Amino acid sequence: MNLCERLGREWLFFDGGTGTILQERGLKAGELPELWNLTHADEIIALNRAYLEAGCDIINTNTFGANALKFTENLTEIVEAAVEHAKEARRQANRPDARIALDIGPTGKLLKPMGDLDFEKAVELFAQVVRIGAKAGADLVLIETMSDSYEAKAAVLAAKENCDLPVMITLIFDEKGKMLTGGTVESTVAMLEGLRVDAIGVNCGMGPRQMMPIVREMVACSSLPVIVNPNAGLPRSVNGKTVFDVEPAEFAALMREIAQLGVQALGGCCGTTPEHIRAMIEACRSVPVAPVTKKHRTVVSSFSQTVEIGGAPVIIGERINPTGKSKFKQALRDNNIEYILSEGLVQEDKGAHILDVNVGLPEIDEPAMMERVVTGLQSILALPLQIDTSDAAAMERGMRLYNGKPMLNSVSGKAESMETVFPLVRKYGGVVVGLALDETGIPETAEGRVQIAKKIYETAATYGIPKEDIVIDALAMTISSDSRSALVTLDTLRRIRDELGGHTILGVSNISFGLPQREIINANFYTMAMQNGLSCAIINPNSEAMMRSYQAFLALTAQDEQCAAYIAAYGGQQSTAPVSAAKAAMPLGESIERGLKEHAVQATTARLEQLAPLEIVNNELIPALDRVGKGFEQGKVFLPQLLMSAEAAKAAFEVVKSAMKGEVQEKKGKIILATVKGDIHDIGKNIVKVLLENYSYEVIDLGKDVPPETIVETAIAQDVRLVGLSALMTTTVVSMEETIKQLRAQKPDAKVVVGGAVLTPEYASSIGADCYAKDAMATVHYAQQTIG
Amino acid sequence: MIEIDRGEVRRYLGFKNGQTDESTEGLIDACIAKLNEEAVPKSVFHAFDLENPVGNVLKIEGLCITSANLAKNLKGCSCVYLMAATLGVGVDRLIARASATEMSRAVVYQAAAAAMIEAYCDEINEALCREAGRENLYCRPRFSPGYGDFNIKHQMDFARLLDTPRKIGLTVTEGMALAPSKSVTAIIGLSREKQPCHIKGCEVCDKTNCAFRR
Repeated sequence: MNLCERLGREWLFFDGGTGTILQERGLKAGELPELWNLTHADEIIALNRAYLEAGCDIINTNTFGANALKFTENLTEIVEAAVEHAKEARRQANRPDARIALDIGPTGKLLKPMGDLDFEKAVELFAQVVRIGAKAGADLVLIETMSDSYEAKAAVLAAKENCDLPVMITLIFDEKGKMLTGGTVESTVAMLEGLRVDAIGVNCGMGPRQMMPIVREMVACSSLPVIVNPNAGLPRSVNGKTVFDVEPAEFAALMREIAQLGVQALGGCCGTTPEHIRAMIEACRSVPVAPVTKKHRTVVSSFSQTVEIGGAPVIIGERINPTGKSKFKQALRDNNIEYILSEGLVQEDKGAHILDVNVGLPEIDEPAMMERVVTGLQSILALPLQIDTSDAAAMERGMRLYNGKPMLNSVSGKAESMETVFPLVRKYGGVVVGLALDETGIPETAEGRVQIAKKIYETAATYGIPKEDIVIDALAMTISSDSRSALVTLDTLRRIRDELGGHTILGVSNISFGLPQREIINANFYTMAMQNGLSCAIINPNSEAMMRSYQAFLALTAQDEQCAAYIAAYGGQQSTAPVSAAKAAMPLGESIERGLKEHAVQATTARLEQLAPLEIVNNELIPALDRVGKGFEQGKVFLPQLLMSAEAAKAAFEVVKSAMKGEVQEKKGKIILATVKGDIHDIGKNIVKVLLENYSYEVIDLGKDVPPETIVETAIAQDVRLVGLSALMTTTVVSMEETIKQLRAQKPDAKVVVGGAVLTPEYASSIGADCYAKDAMATVHYAQQTIG
Repeated sequence: MIEIDRGEVRRYLGFKNGQTDESTEGLIDACIAKLNEEAVPKSVFHAFDLENPVGNVLKIEGLCITSANLAKNLKGCSCVYLMAATLGVGVDRLIARASATEMSRAVVYQAAAAAMIEAYCDEINEALCREAGRENLYCRPRFSPGYGDFNIKHQMDFARLLDTPRKIGLTVTEGMALAPSKSVTAIIGLSREKQPCHIKGCEVCDKTNCAFRR
């Protein structure tokens, strides 16, 4: 029986603390324990051996923090030595049955965008250790103490891509069941099951007593074997030293309780010793080990949220999609990620549970765009995403960089489609939409669609993809060309639910293509579809009619306790008074000066009846902005007020723009904005951007941590004459200087304006900048001077 | 819950002498409420011996710091606390989210979170002072890498000595920024003599034209 087969049939015991024991033996604070593999070989062998003699089945190599960031010179030597020490201990203890786990801890860096470690760089850092450890003879990979789901994913991918050993992972949660970066037990279990690890668990952070609720939660949602490796209690500081209070006997008694919660492997972490582990093994050996049970749940997740499909109907927001939307298409061409992100945020507010992400446009690099949008969305919102593309490369890029278990749109019953998509689902995990069509086209009958659904389930199974990870698209086809098509779709939904026990999805609005007042048909069809078993619908959550159908359906089918959600949504609505006369009467200028967005929109709409759009801009909007800007410079208006005015003006501009349909509004000139390489603080740059856009400049926002080369290339390619650079720290002003140097050499006609907390006019001129801007308005003035 | 000093929030936003308006105050309220939901404050500290300083060179647990400002701050101290604190990535996410849609909100989050991490450090600092007081030791004002001539590169050493990535999720970027961004590392000297010294931050800073200078 191999190791994975043993899980759930017999107990597997992991070892206990390493770092805390080495500290007792003289390891200093801040000293790297992995160095002891070279300097204190005997101590490490003795520790491994003590755990084997205590009865462990698996011992961990002393490689927790071994990575190329910490060990630039001697990583190979350190990892090899660690594996050799474990092997030597196994010989000395005469335990040939024992297994050696290559121990992998976190990198100590935070991944982008919150930190500066690139996801693929993280994968590579872990991969190096995996390759060395596997070659040296480790029997499995144990990824442990992960407090960030994204980093955990990088480590798992690295292990899977670089060895054939079993991969197990344990995570660290706090008392509230949260990881440091927000992950929950349920969300991380979903992701890691998708990545097909061999076992999952909890370690460190807490003692066995505090860990029990987390363990219960994990056992309840996991279809994988569960490992529990707690500390010897909560750490406490005594005279500046960290101590753990739970003694071996108490630890063993608590672990016996945990053993009865349905877990499959036990061990210890900080503060536990061979004595703790020996006592634990004695106490737990006689407890019957629970078999691993499959939960058969259909779950997608983000870094912190899960959505289960198969309970209440799920809403998938369809707005991140260029089809039929010229503005969205333009945003894709302009690389205007902000616009796309705001489409996501609006849908979240309106009640979407999952966001569909389709960024396909023939003239753009779709995999690169998919990467930007997926990483952009997951850095600001917590809804799970549905990666929607027919480009396999874009799908893989999206899945790889996604921090969770995604939904995928889609695979079909065509052999080629399944051969392309299923290996990706097998590798990265996900719930995939299976279109009920194949090489023969779209069956006209429900029977034909059900047969294709079966084929999709069966083929998926050959890839090890369970039925619960497939959601069948029963296909909504417009009733304007076939009046029976809705009936076929509804019949298909019902049969997939009743005969196949499967889940379903529809792109609901396709039903009304070619008809007038499509919302009427869509909303009613949506209700009918839910009544016939539709599990999730791809709809526009901004559509009031669709959301009414949804809320009403829940209320009518006892899925909205005491109609609470319905009342919350529609309860106070009738009392919304029409806009009061006073409100409507506020002049445009004043509403901008006071930063009142809604008023500005109303005032602009009213003014458009009297004035030409350009007159409004030149005679009212711009002067108001100038007044606010001047007030800011005189110290009468402050930053939040300046920005609220800018936002009100932006909203007014939008109204004017839509009134000018067709006429191209003149942009004043292009300006690059970037936070320089090494700097991850972008708030100052973002403030400047808002103001420059107000004054009609075309801002090319390159983001934060931008290499000089990217800035120079963009300046040349787009012939930009003004570059704005931001740096917050003395350490990154160096990158600013380098960027200016490269710009001077390759794009000498570009002017450079700089700003940021540590800069002064003198400092700015010493690094060769043309201008130091003390605030956003100063940048606007410099832009006016240089490019008009 | 961490008590945020609204005066500090206004100061960070550039308001002089408390002159804000209703919509700004409303925004500050909303942002503080949301921050209290999203922040996950965590901290770690450890006491270390301070070797007898030679000139401006200070030695702590094998770590060597050269800084006239810090040497002055720690004059007469025989041991120090190193501390690190963070509000967690949730706060950064909140700021990033607001930045995508509403910069006015983003800057208020930024200011309120800055005030919040300071208030949190004050709480920890006071607790450490009380603990030290029991042994008749007095705390010096906390001093952070990047203050005066205390090289910001020592952020790395603080992270290593306190094991901050593992213990509280606090990391240091290559550019020596702390991530999550609303985080602080600091050193607090302990001495037998009481010193009426309340210098904090601004007064040792060289950037005398700073808009936020107290």
